[in-house]
Amino acid sequence: MSIASPINLILLSLFVVLVYWHFRPKQPVTLPRGPPPVVFRTYTPKTLLEFNGVDGRPVFLAVRGRVFDVSPGRNFYGPGGPYENFAGRDASRGLAHQSFDEEMLTKDLSGPLDDLKDLDADQLENLQSWEERFSEKYLVVGKLVAEGDPEAPKS
Amino acid sequence: MADQAPILEKLDAAVSEVLADWNIYTTLFAGILAAFAIYSVVSNKDPDVHPFLLARQSTASPIRQAGESATYRSLETPYGFPLRSGLNVKDPGAPKWTAGRRGDLRDIWKTAVRGALNEDGTTSGKQGKIYTVLGKNAIEHSLSQVTQEINVIGRHLQKAEVKTVAVCLTDSIELLASIFAGSFYGFKIVLIPHNLPAASLSSHLQNAKADALIAEVGSVDLSLVTKANKQISNVIWVAKYGNRHMDWHEVPKDAKETLDVTVWHELAEEGKDLAGFDVPEYDPTTPAPAVNTVWPSESQYGEFIDFKQENLVAAISALGSALPRTQRFNSSDLVLSIDSLSRSYPLCQIFNALFSNASIALNSVAGENVDFALATKGISPTVIIASSRTMSEYHDRVMKPHTGLISSLGRWVQARTLDAGNMPSKNFFSQLAQVGPTAELSLEKLRLLCISHRVDADASVRMTSEQLTDLRVYMGTRIVSALTGPGIAGAISQTNVFDYRDASGPSHFGAPLSSTEVTLTGVPESQSDDYPEGQILVAGPAVVGGKTTLSARGRIGTDNTLELSA
Repeated sequence: MSIASPINLILLSLFVVLVYWHFRPKQPVTLPRGPPPVVFRTYTPKTLLEFNGVDGRPVFLAVRGRVFDVSPGRNFYGPGGPYENFAGRDASRGLAHQSFDEEMLTKDLSGPLDDLKDLDADQLENLQSWEERFSEKYLVVGKLVAEGDPEAPKS
Repeated sequence: MADQAPILEKLDAAVSEVLADWNIYTTLFAGILAAFAIYSVVSNKDPDVHPFLLARQSTASPIRQAGESATYRSLETPYGFPLRSGLNVKDPGAPKWTAGRRGDLRDIWKTAVRGALNEDGTTSGKQGKIYTVLGKNAIEHSLSQVTQEINVIGRHLQKAEVKTVAVCLTDSIELLASIFAGSFYGFKIVLIPHNLPAASLSSHLQNAKADALIAEVGSVDLSLVTKANKQISNVIWVAKYGNRHMDWHEVPKDAKETLDVTVWHELAEEGKDLAGFDVPEYDPTTPAPAVNTVWPSESQYGEFIDFKQENLVAAISALGSALPRTQRFNSSDLVLSIDSLSRSYPLCQIFNALFSNASIALNSVAGENVDFALATKGISPTVIIASSRTMSEYHDRVMKPHTGLISSLGRWVQARTLDAGNMPSKNFFSQLAQVGPTAELSLEKLRLLCISHRVDADASVRMTSEQLTDLRVYMGTRIVSALTGPGIAGAISQTNVFDYRDASGPSHFGAPLSSTEVTLTGVPESQSDDYPEGQILVAGPAVVGGKTTLSARGRIGTDNTLELSA
């Protein structure tokens, strides 16, 4: 009768494996990192223009100086959508007038921003409700300033 | 078929040959093996918290400014939601589904006096108690007795028309009563650390423009202080039990006409019949005055922090909700603070305890650097609030040297349980681990240790992960570790109570509280997207002025927790 018989050795090694399995160091869980945050930028009408959703680029639009990333609503605001005219543009006047026409946009991209001084109370309320809806749904990724503004990025 | 038969036969022969060796030792081994396998399966428990919640402890904003990191927030109040700003006090009679008020310190005292609520919302009449620990004895005070003192002192100072009251006391009932008296009776309270040299106390009083002083008898040289502070019109002495028989009405000669010197316990005795035990009526819409504290800084005098009531209630509420529901302070808790109430973390945690109807215990020796064993002697608390300096010195000075071979073995086994995400229960191994290092402590009921670290404190007293594991194992308690900073009520961030992970090196400080948000500034663009490192900017309702930049630099770890760099 000996301790070092094959069956005993087998049981012993099984035991060692079990002990290791029980006490083995457990790696803490790590989650994959989320997408990196978008950097807040200052746009001018000209630099905003390229974010019109063509070729899979993001869709931005500006309301009263705030630039919203409306890419999640690409079907509406992107190319082919009912609001496509606003993509990459200052949409304040159009939203206030509830009109999606070309003439609502500021033609002169190097000129000052639309000051919206001529809007009546109803239109301002319209604009306000649009802005609130955007703030709830979309991310503000930058602000819009006129070309030549001291805050405008130097190109 | 013909080929396989011999193989099977050989196998059969081999197995029977091996089994033929079966003897008494084999039975023994098999028994041990089976027993261990059963133990392993039975002892397998779900971790206290889902591991994913520890893997990402705060949320990052989807947008950031150039040169800054994203803004990190507690999981309770992610980007786009308002930060926690108040206690959500619901007045009786208010419609059921309306949002509560932000509240202020008066609501905290009122809630404490009201007592714990039953599950159906009716009052159970079970009030917390307040204990003062004096050496080995603890003296019990009822809340109504303290309410009476609040009324007496409040009325006395209100009648004297003082605006700012400097309180220079050790942690005591009188200190707590003065703070609440200030809120109820409309004067600003300035908490000045005790045991300051007369010159710096005097300059503090000047800075604060205090017109009344509450101090311990014999701790302040009145003639020196009043000479530099002509604006002081009222002095209230607090006499300890031992020297109440003496006459403390003596006034310095040159200040005799203007100075009104009274003694706390005499006032309380005289006003007893008039004051009543009821919490004073108040109009919740009128703002309660501020509470100022002094933040120790490099310069000798320290810096005044003007905490508005809004800052304090935001922090108190956030500290309450930072603990998971099962771990929150409740009416069966006894919360002992061995860190000075003139520091904002212990102050807010004690208010949190009062608001949760827990009992509290104050210790007159409390401070940033105290002897842990002595300070916890006279009482058996369930929660202890201490500073990182106290704990790290206790660990280095007492625990570590008393950890022998047996304790280390016990610790190793317990640390495996912690590693698996479970708090070890009291068992054979926990006794084995605790036998040496905590022999001098009597903390059977302790369940939670709240440690706060000053952002500008010595880096050597910052707790390491290993130290925290030691404390968990040797004291059998869960731990939260908070980071505090000047101008921030409560804390900037606090670790998850279920986070037992033991990484090497200094411990992180968890996720921001729900009343603050943390951004790192001055981050080089090259590293801003992954693991940013920069100066810590804290904003939110708990911050005086809404926003402050600390001198310290910090880092956001892989699990979205805040660490101090270097």
